[in-house]
Amino acid sequence: MPRFLKILVRNLLKGPATDPFPFQEAFTPDRLRGRVVLNPDLCLGCGICRHVCPGEAIRLEPDEGRTGYSFSIWHNTCALCGSCRHFCPTGAITLNADWHGAHPQTDKYRHAEHHFVPYLRCAGCGAPLRPLPPGIAARLYAHSPLDMTQVVKLCPDCRLTATAKREGERYGTTANPG
Amino acid sequence: MSDLLTPCAQKSFTLPIGPLHVALEEPMYFKLDLDGERVRQVEITAGHVHRGMESLAAKRNFFQNVVLTERVCSLCSNSHPFTYCLAVENLAGIAVPPRGQYLRVLAEEIKRSASHLFNVGIMAHVIGYKSLFMHVMQVREIMQDIKETIFGNRMDLAANCIGGVTYDLDSTLLEFTADNLNRVAGHLAELIDIYRHDPMIKARTQGVGVVSPKDVAALGLVGPVARAAGAAMDVRRDSPYAAYGDLEFAVITEEGGDVHSRAMVRLREARESVGIVLQALGKLPGGERRARLSAIPAGEAVARTEAPRGELFYYLHADGSDVPLRLKWRVPSYLNWDALPVMMKDCAVADVTLIVNSIDPCVSCTER
Ligand code: SF4
Ligand code: SF4
Repeated sequence: MPRFLKILVRNLLKGPATDPFPFQEAFTPDRLRGRVVLNPDLCLGCGICRHVCPGEAIRLEPDEGRTGYSFSIWHNTCALCGSCRHFCPTGAITLNADWHGAHPQTDKYRHAEHHFVPYLRCAGCGAPLRPLPPGIAARLYAHSPLDMTQVVKLCPDCRLTATAKREGERYGTTANPG
Repeated sequence: MSDLLTPCAQKSFTLPIGPLHVALEEPMYFKLDLDGERVRQVEITAGHVHRGMESLAAKRNFFQNVVLTERVCSLCSNSHPFTYCLAVENLAGIAVPPRGQYLRVLAEEIKRSASHLFNVGIMAHVIGYKSLFMHVMQVREIMQDIKETIFGNRMDLAANCIGGVTYDLDSTLLEFTADNLNRVAGHLAELIDIYRHDPMIKARTQGVGVVSPKDVAALGLVGPVARAAGAAMDVRRDSPYAAYGDLEFAVITEEGGDVHSRAMVRLREARESVGIVLQALGKLPGGERRARLSAIPAGEAVARTEAPRGELFYYLHADGSDVPLRLKWRVPSYLNWDALPVMMKDCAVADVTLIVNSIDPCVSCTER
């Protein structure tokens, strides 16, 4: 007991160990996994995040007219595991340190984040297309002599045809499938 | 009136505790046959909150299962995805890069020391030493702050992914972690001294809930429960995984096999864990922290690790798709429950909670 008395006195002199929340901000480190957020400008719609999400908190669906896709994050289903952030190829989905997610029961279906990401039309055939975000296209095509601003406007099929044509011209033959 | 006042000291009766009971935080059913104040026989019934997680695992893909296994138990929450990832890596032949191996050890040992501190803290609570309980929980709080700062959560670290780890440390975090661990090491030295010598703790815990080395072998006990009875078994040393082969640490044992020895093993192990993390921080290799993923072929694999409560074992059966056919795990608590009837034989009713706590039982793991 005397051994512990020493500690007891020391702790008494130190004062309360708890944060005086809500009168002051509580200890919140930068890396705290508080809430999932999406930056729609960076999102490719690849669906990797949805694939790895253990709670099925992410919904990603093209709309009926194929004008774009909707992206929803249901915070109450989210386990804040960070898998979506870990696997997202573009860094579009991240977690911030905002842990103030408490809300009344009546608001439970509003506790979500919804986005609509529009498709562009392929410059070749008009098919719906989600272009690569400029930063990522610049990184991918950094060592290519091609004008990537044009390439990213084409759908994968038209890009194939364009490449075939270009390569054909370069080797002096015409692209003749016959 | 005189009837009511008759002491029941000589009477035999059955005392049910649980599955829902004011003195129990978790649902487990104990049927105690008493002779006055003495426990003569114990029957344990589990299954009240079975969650069917092994079946859930066979409906989720390999990535989702990393997170699912982390939710088996909050105190061993790092050991489960860690061992699961080892099993997947064994099957797919993925080699985790050295930095990843070290970071895995770091996460695991931080969790181990916090888990052990929690248990010895609760022990102080059970014997009514509330001020010591508060102090131990406050020391553990330093570990919680480390976890929250590095990993972003106090319990579920989300440190492991198939092929390595998800997190990294920069020089600021390295320094922050080392500083705080040194603080914890100072507190642990003090706590070890208190738990070893405090007359009140000794009076309540020494010679209570004893298991012999023979019981350890017969019942297949694992972890601190086995080591407190002198059995020097530790998967980290017996079949080293991750970076444990490169790191120096002692396998802590005590001889008493009683509640006190188990608390001492945990406290000394917590100090050992702090030492392991400090070593890992000093030797942390550079380079990648996770391997490239490859396809997960059909086949079977196993992996085992030393979780805070003892040996944790995972079995994986895959069919080449991205959902396992079968994922099975054996948790250390499952074995250690069997020690209770032996430990409680002829103990006083007042010691029942203390003995239950001393095996550091995890209902969450048992009821996976
Ligand atoms: S958030 Fe990332 S992972 Fe999810 S669809 Fe968009 S780009 Fe793909
Ligand atoms: S943090 Fe985890 S549970 Fe939440 S949306 Fe991302 S993957 Fe899903």
